[in-house]
Formats: sequence, structure tokens, C-alpha cells
Amino acid sequence: MTIEQERATGELADEVRAWLAANWHGTDDADWRRRVVEAGWAAPTWPRDAFGRGLSRADAKTVAAEFAAVGAPGAAVETRAFTALAGNTIVEFGSPELKRDILPKLLSGELTRGCLLYSEPGNGSDLAGLQTRAERDGDVFVVNGQKIWTTGGHEAQFALLLARTNWDVPKHAGISFFIIPMDLPGIEVRPIKQMTGESDFNEVFLTDVRIPAGTLVGELNDGWRVLQTALKEERRTMGFELGARAQGEGGRAPIFTASDDLIEAARAAGKLGDEAVRQNIMRIHSWRLVNDWNAVRAKKEIEAGGGSSLASLGKLANSRILHESWALKFRLIGARGMLYDPADKAAYEVDHQMMWSFINSIGGGTDQIQRNIISERILGLPKGYEPDRGVPFRDVRKGGTARPDGK
Amino acid sequence: MFGSFTEDQLQLRELVRDYLRDKSPESEVRRLMATDEGYDPAVWTQMAREVGLQGLAIPEQYGGQGAGWTELGIVLEEMGRALLCAPFFSTVVLAATTLLESGDEEAKQQYLPAIADGSLIATVALTEEDGRWDDSGITVPATHTPDGWTLSGAKHFVLDGLTANLVIVPARTASGISLFAVDPAAAGVTRRPSITLDETRKLAVVEFDTTPARLIGAEGGGGPVLRRVLNFAAVALAAEQTGGAQAALDMSVEYLKTRVQFGQVIGAFQALKHMAADVLIEVESARSAAYYALEAAAQDNDELPVAASLAKAYCSEAFVTAAHQNIQFHGGMGFTWEVPAHLYYKRARSSEVFLGDAFAHREALAQRIGV
Ligand SMILES: Cc1cc2nc3c(=O)[nH]c(=O)nc-3n(C[C@H](O)[C@H](O)[C@H](O)COP(=O)(O)OP(=O)(O)OC[C@H]3O[C@@H](n4cnc5c(N)ncnc54)[C@H](O)[C@@H]3O)c2cc1C
Repeated sequence: MTIEQERATGELADEVRAWLAANWHGTDDADWRRRVVEAGWAAPTWPRDAFGRGLSRADAKTVAAEFAAVGAPGAAVETRAFTALAGNTIVEFGSPELKRDILPKLLSGELTRGCLLYSEPGNGSDLAGLQTRAERDGDVFVVNGQKIWTTGGHEAQFALLLARTNWDVPKHAGISFFIIPMDLPGIEVRPIKQMTGESDFNEVFLTDVRIPAGTLVGELNDGWRVLQTALKEERRTMGFELGARAQGEGGRAPIFTASDDLIEAARAAGKLGDEAVRQNIMRIHSWRLVNDWNAVRAKKEIEAGGGSSLASLGKLANSRILHESWALKFRLIGARGMLYDPADKAAYEVDHQMMWSFINSIGGGTDQIQRNIISERILGLPKGYEPDRGVPFRDVRKGGTARPDGK
Repeated sequence: MFGSFTEDQLQLRELVRDYLRDKSPESEVRRLMATDEGYDPAVWTQMAREVGLQGLAIPEQYGGQGAGWTELGIVLEEMGRALLCAPFFSTVVLAATTLLESGDEEAKQQYLPAIADGSLIATVALTEEDGRWDDSGITVPATHTPDGWTLSGAKHFVLDGLTANLVIVPARTASGISLFAVDPAAAGVTRRPSITLDETRKLAVVEFDTTPARLIGAEGGGGPVLRRVLNFAAVALAAEQTGGAQAALDMSVEYLKTRVQFGQVIGAFQALKHMAADVLIEVESARSAAYYALEAAAQDNDELPVAASLAKAYCSEAFVTAAHQNIQFHGGMGFTWEVPAHLYYKRARSSEVFLGDAFAHREALAQRIGV
């Protein structure tokens, strides 16, 4: 840190401390949250016209530290999952009214449970082929269609919705992006039972749902561009936080501790001396570390002012880390893995996580789609045959439902 | 700091890359690999005196520039990319590091300035016929006589063993492993070039028959020195492997964009795009592993042995993958002598086992993190 930077950090800390002395009285209530938001402390890195202060990430940490020092909640929460995902999208594309209506609720904690109404039965990887329609009717849009795999839809307060608003242009050009409440008439949520036995995701049916025109994020028919910001946030939170793994126990560097969980599992199984197991663990250990180190390099490249192509590699690399880690633990518990009995908590957890690893390789763009993106955008290889390219969406061959009938 | 480079380091990379583009194009690599010596003496001297590469990481008091492992790693990555044919790894990485670690002030003063100015080519003759890289592989005995030490026995897989004017030989004495300096012109030395898979990297068998040798460092003190040298060397090789892997990927992408089949460039075939995306992950991950290990080497911190084995294992496999897929991407062309894909493949395979393969280093990694 340079002397100027240190001085600036000191001044910021003084300002926060003075503000806290005047405003924090030890009670975390709605009024307190409102004041934190209005002062710009809830989202220090967002711009001033979006309840922020235009500060750097490092400064935001200073702010958070001062709040933590007096036990005051609510500072620097703009990186929280849905707050980041919905918030950053609105910060970048939202109208002044939308910013005023939604951002304070995201930051105060009033709106925390969101869901993503993107995928449809006929359109997953080919998201731009979505067929849910939104038609203008005065100052509302009327939405009809079906969404699927909607994680958290059954408990969501709000949703990010993609719908088609123009059928006479190629697929990407006729999509709009909305942020809507989930309690509107005409929205029906039906849980889907997953391979894990639970129901985290849902089918969502939208029938003549009337949404205010003001819920449009960005320009009409410009939803695909808006989506890119939201997707970037989503992929970032999927296994590729741009930073280093935390230090292990006793302050030991991750290079010593990054596979403690696997070593422990092997020890418990009495297989720590098995050469094949040792090789397997050290291979995964190395994958975990190099992926972290790639993330550190990406972060520094971004901080140095460029983009970083490295940031696009992490999600794909994380798939093999997750699948292979849990598969190894599965083999290590041996026959117990054949049971799925919550009474054996440890074995149940292994089976459960082994299955959940698919969320990384399927959700948010499958591994195959990631490879398409990497080979085209980073390596510059040409796109393959695209029969729907440049064709008005009305005339494109549409996908059928992804689920077998009668289920 | 890991993850970024200083302005000077970035400039060094540019400088070395430009220099090697000029001095080590494919035509030169092919010309030199067909010779027994395997390097161009004029380039070697210029590299030392005008570019300053041999002395880059040698301390100033011994005639070098006193830079560190990060800088040397940058140079090695570029040399790996260009498949430079020169006794750099043997002289600078193996021999100079051994001398620096030996604690033998007289030997350092005698040899290091000569290495830095390009007048001395040196190597370490570690391995014997069984090809082991650890202490147990060292059996050649050294005998103390009234006139000093003598060596008898054979060393195999000696990097640049034919051209070196100084051979550092780890041998057995009553107190364990000791290091000796041998002048290859001395009595009883026979050198035979080996026929190698990777012709850009020259190996030799060096035999001694009551050859006079000079003890370097303390008698019996060679084991710990060698273990440190092998850590540094593993990191250096990882950096070189990263450069080679990147070159193989660059070559692949170039071909994918130009070769046409079925009415389109083959890079539009998804099977190949996905292979290429996977190679990119391996190459970038290898780079991260090498850079992290170079940082540990530069700081000489307690992560070095761990990071060295992790990097050697990772970069060995990543380079083999990139070089292997490069041939696959090239189809029949990839199997020809004419296309340089095989040069990278052979360098990758030979580097995979040089200093211990990925399996050995993953096992070392496990032991070094305490498992
Ligand atoms: C646990 C979970 C939670 C999810 N949560 C949400 C959510 O909250 N909201 C939401 O909107 N969606 C959600 N999804 C949906 C997810 O984004 C889609 O499942 C995903 O994008 C794949 O689409 P699909 O299921 O239709 O598969 P498809 O697109 O039908 O893919 C089938 C197979 O074809 C491959 N494939 C498809 N196109 C190509 C191509 N061009 N090149 C190569 N291969 C291709 C795929 O990789 C895959 O292997 C969730 C999914 C999961 C598993």
C-alpha cells in the first residue's frame, strides 16, 4: 500500500466510525437498515446513483470491518448471492425507478429469496430459443408460458424472468428481461422431485400473468445482453470465487491442507497407505490448488485493468474436482454407499453430495456449453453449424418438452 | 508476488522471446539436434555476454546479475516454448545451483563467473544405470588416496555430458554422499553420446576409471545439497514444460483454424473444439502450478518442496497432454517428421520422466504434506 492509499483508508475508517457513533444504537431494525442503505454503506462498491459510494473492494472491506468492530450488521452486503446477481444487473441496466424500488429492498434484506425463470422444457442449453411470451397491454405485459428447473421457486419472493417479446427477429434479438414478484395471480409453482429425493427445483407455470411495464430491466428486446451480466454473477458464484482458498487449520498454507477432507476420508477407511488412493488424492489436491491459483491470476489480471480469459475456465475445471472428490469419498465408504439412510449421516452426506456435483456440470451452462464458449471466445475457433442463425424466431424449429409425458 | 509480474519481468520475457525467435527458429532446432554437440557455440556465448541469461540468477559477487528464480523461470518458459538446443538446463539449473548450494566458497569463485560469462559448460552426473533420482541411485565410489580423491564407475543419462567442461559427480564415500568436480579431460574419463528420443536434449554416458576428482563442500554432505538442487530443478523444469505446452497448444489452434475437411475448417468440429478447451485448462493450470512453485523457490520458503513436486507432476502431464493432442489434431501430418509436432511430443515425454515422473512426484507430494 502506498502512503496515499494508507491515508485514504484511514480517512475512510474515520468517516465510518463517526457515522456509526452517530447512528448505531445497538438495535438492528428496519429503520437502521434503511439508514445503512441510504448512507451507501450497504453497497459501498455500487455507484452513488445506486445506493453505493463507488468505492473499491478493498475499501468496502474497510467499511465492513468498522461495522463488525461495533457489532453493527448490514454493511457491504452487495456480494451476497441474490443481492449480487439481481443487484448488479439492475445497477447496470435498471431504470432510475427500478433502482429506487428494488435496490434498497435487496440491500436491507427485505428481498433475499429470488429465483431464475430462465430454462424451459424445450430450451435449456439453447436458452435463447425460449418460448414464454410477454405481450404489451397498456402499462402491463401479459406473460404466458412454462419455466422449469427453477431452484427455490417454491419459496421465492421475486424472480428474474426471460420472455420473448418479438417473434419476427432472430432468437437473440427478441428477448426481454424482467424482475417480477412471485406472488402475482397466474403464477403456479409445482415442486419437482430430484434424484436426491428432495425438491429444491420446480416447474413454474405462467398463465396470463400481468406484470407492470416498469419491471422491464434494460431496453425492450435487449434482454439477452442484460442476461450476460446476470449469468456472469451466477457463474462467478459457482465454484470460482476469484480469490485464494482460506488458510487451513493452524494458519497452514492451502498447499498443505487443501485435501485434508480426502486424507481424513482415506484414513477413516484404513486406505491411506494404498498407492492408488494416494495418487487419486494427490491428483485431486493438485486440481484444487491449480484452480485456485488460476483464480488468483485471473483476479490480478482483472485488477490490472484487463479482462481475464482465465476466469472462464474455473467452472469447467471445478466439475471434475467435485465429481472426482465425491466419487473418491464414495468408494472409500465402501458398501455403506449402497445405502441412502439419513441415520448414517456421514454416508448419506457422501451419496448426497456425489449427486449434487451435477449442479456444477449441468446448471448455469453445461460443461459442453462451457467448452463451446472457451473454444470460441478464448481460442477463437469458429462456431459450428447453426441452422437457426439469422432466421426469424417464428420460423425456427422448436424443441419439444424435456420431460417424458405423463410424469 | 504470485499471480502478477513486475514491469521488468515482463520486459525480460519479451526480450528473451524475441531473442529466441531469432536464434532458435525451427530450422536451427533441426540443424542443431542433428549434431552430437547439440548447441551453437556462438549463440551460447552471445546469450551469456550480450543477453546475460546464464548469469541472470547467479549472485553479483560471482559475476552474475543476482536475479532470482522468478526471472530464471521466465527464461526457461521461453526456452521451452522455442525448444532451444543449448546446455542451459545442465549448466545453469543443475550445475550452478549445486555449486551455490554446496557451501564451497572456493568452488563457487572458481566456476560460477565462468558459467556466467559463457565460457564454462557444466553438468551434474547424478543418475546411474538404474535411472533413480534419489540417494539410493548413487553407488559410484570415491576413494581417498594420498594424492587426493579418485572416482571409478559409470554415470548414465548425463545431461549434456558430452559437451560439459565440468562434471559434478555425486559419489559414495565412507561418510555418505559427497560431491566431486571432475575435469572431463582428466585421466580415465570416457564419454559416449546416448541415442535419445528427444534429440533436442543431449544425454551421455560418462565413465570414470580412477579419475582424479576434487571434493566440493563437506565430505558426506552431498545428500541434503542434492535434495535441494532437485527441488529447484523440478521447479525449473516445470516452467520449461509450461512453455512447451503453450507452444503445442498454439500450434494446434493455428492448424484447427486452417485445415479444411468436409467443407469447413476442422476447428468448427465440436469434438476438436472440446479437446482444445480441455488442453487450454491444462496449459493454464500448469502455468499456475509453475508460477506458484517459482515463487516458493524465489522466496526459498517452507512450501518449496511441496510446490516443486506438485508442479513437476502437474506440468509433466499437462505438457504430454498438449503435445499428444497436438499430434492428434494434425492427423497424418502430425505423424510426419516434417511437422514439428513430434519435437514437442518427444520433449514432453522425455521431460516427463527426467527428474522423476508424475507418479513419483505425487507420492513425494503426499509425503511432503505429511501423509
Ligand atoms: C440442480 C439444477 C438447478 C437448476 N436451477 C435452475 C434455475 O434456478 N433456473 C433456471 O432457469 N434453470 C435452472 N437449471 C437448468 C439448467 O440451466 C439447465 O438444465 C442447463 O442449462 C441444461 O439445459 P437442459 O437441461 O435443457 O439440457 P439440454 O440443453 O437438453 O442438454 C442435454 C445435453 O446436450 C448437451 N448439449 C446441448 N446443446 C449443446 C451444444 N450446443 N453443444 C454440445 N452439447 C450440447 C448438453 O451439454 C447436455 O449434455 C438448473 C439445473 C439443475 C441441474
